[in-house]
Amino acid sequence: MDFNINNFLESFIYGMKYFPNTLRLVFIPLSVGLVLGTVAALIRVYKVPVLCKILAIVITVYQGVPIIVALMIYNLIFMMKYNDLAAFLHLKGTIADVDQIWIGIFALSLTAICSVSEAIRGALLSIDKGQDEAGYSVGLTKIQTIYRIVLPQMIPVAIPMLTNHVVGLIKASSVVMAIGIIEIVAGATIPSSRTYSFFEGYVAAALIYWIFTVMIEYLAKILRKHTGRFRRNLYD
Amino acid sequence: MIEVKHVKKVFGKLEVLKDVSVEVKDGEVVVILGPSGSGKTTLLRCINFLENADSGELTVGDIQVDFKKASKKEILAIRRKTSFVFQNYNLFANKTAIENVMEGLVTARRIPKEIAQKRAKEALNWVGLSDKYDYYPSQLSGGQQQRVGIARAFVLDPEVILFDEPTSALDPELVGETLEIIKKVAEKGITMIVVTHEMSFAQEVADKVIFMDGGVVVEEGPPEEIFTNPKEERTKQFLSRIISLEPTYSI
Repeated sequence: MDFNINNFLESFIYGMKYFPNTLRLVFIPLSVGLVLGTVAALIRVYKVPVLCKILAIVITVYQGVPIIVALMIYNLIFMMKYNDLAAFLHLKGTIADVDQIWIGIFALSLTAICSVSEAIRGALLSIDKGQDEAGYSVGLTKIQTIYRIVLPQMIPVAIPMLTNHVVGLIKASSVVMAIGIIEIVAGATIPSSRTYSFFEGYVAAALIYWIFTVMIEYLAKILRKHTGRFRRNLYD
Repeated sequence: MIEVKHVKKVFGKLEVLKDVSVEVKDGEVVVILGPSGSGKTTLLRCINFLENADSGELTVGDIQVDFKKASKKEILAIRRKTSFVFQNYNLFANKTAIENVMEGLVTARRIPKEIAQKRAKEALNWVGLSDKYDYYPSQLSGGQQQRVGIARAFVLDPEVILFDEPTSALDPELVGETLEIIKKVAEKGITMIVVTHEMSFAQEVADKVIFMDGGVVVEEGPPEEIFTNPKEERTKQFLSRIISLEPTYSI
């Protein structure tokens, strides 16, 4: 197989052009996941009545559905129901005015909430109950204890698992091209349909993903060193 | 004054505290002795609401609560009048020695940071850690960690400090330095309830010794009486076994 470097470069440039879309598809769901996932994990670890049971079931059930299946379902619901909903809420504009990327972001956000909450729950469970008790014994409230004592200790434990989920999310973001959103893979193969150089197109996409992932892992390493400085001999 | 009346606590089917009543006068040092599983640690934890007792009454200073009906607000009020020294120190791992001592002052009592810092430094100097302000717990030895733990409890100026086997996680050499600090706390006239297995310490420091077994108070009285002339058979049995095993190190 010949490898056409020019076609490869063209694909790489096209892929990079749609890189911001992938960024949105990764970092918006990640932010949503970090906030709501942490709340969900806290509810489960501190056993808030009723809510903790509901969340346990919802998360387990939701994690059993492949992202692509969930994405297709949301896409169909969206296409069938958006105009009704817009009319109901007196929104201007129709389905044609909405950027479809938001469906992808929605689907990936739900996935992120589930996986992040599991990672953070694991990290929370690793913190000794004695830390909570020490907080209560000096007169802190439950919220103060969680915010000032437990969460700062949880972060460096959670970072390796979270990094893993972010990398998973980066790769999972490519499935949204199934509903017609253009991100790195779809972008890099745009020139391929003209030049027939699909091999170069996919290699270019792979290279972009690889660089992105390496950068994320490097950032995570700095972050966990910084947040875990109170721990001895943890990562080096 | 600390008064615990008719406290009961059940874990599953196990009755850990069967109607225990204890009274501690201001400035008194009370040592609770007893074999493992006798409920002494549970009693201490109930006083600080780290364990929810099933029934009974608690008086700390001017606050009186029913163990079963205590509201969140009352629990917080009780906790802010008591402090606790843990067996395994339980220093906040993400905070330095001085931050550990300041936490209760700044966050719970809303004392301005500068004043809290000054008081925390005094407390740490007092326990002999003037050179360790900015060390994280992971950088301190067990004895140093427990001294920070004592400073953290002491700086809050509580009605009572509860010590839960403060030296049993330490090696024999460090036990001495920690007991020395606890003695200094006692000399300040602070009310203390100490659960310990250190007999010589109990003999030397206690105003009152309580012997517990099987979830009840078997016997209580001044140390001279309990150690030299115990009335109950169970107390005699326990003391004869313990004292013959007691290693001889001076504190």
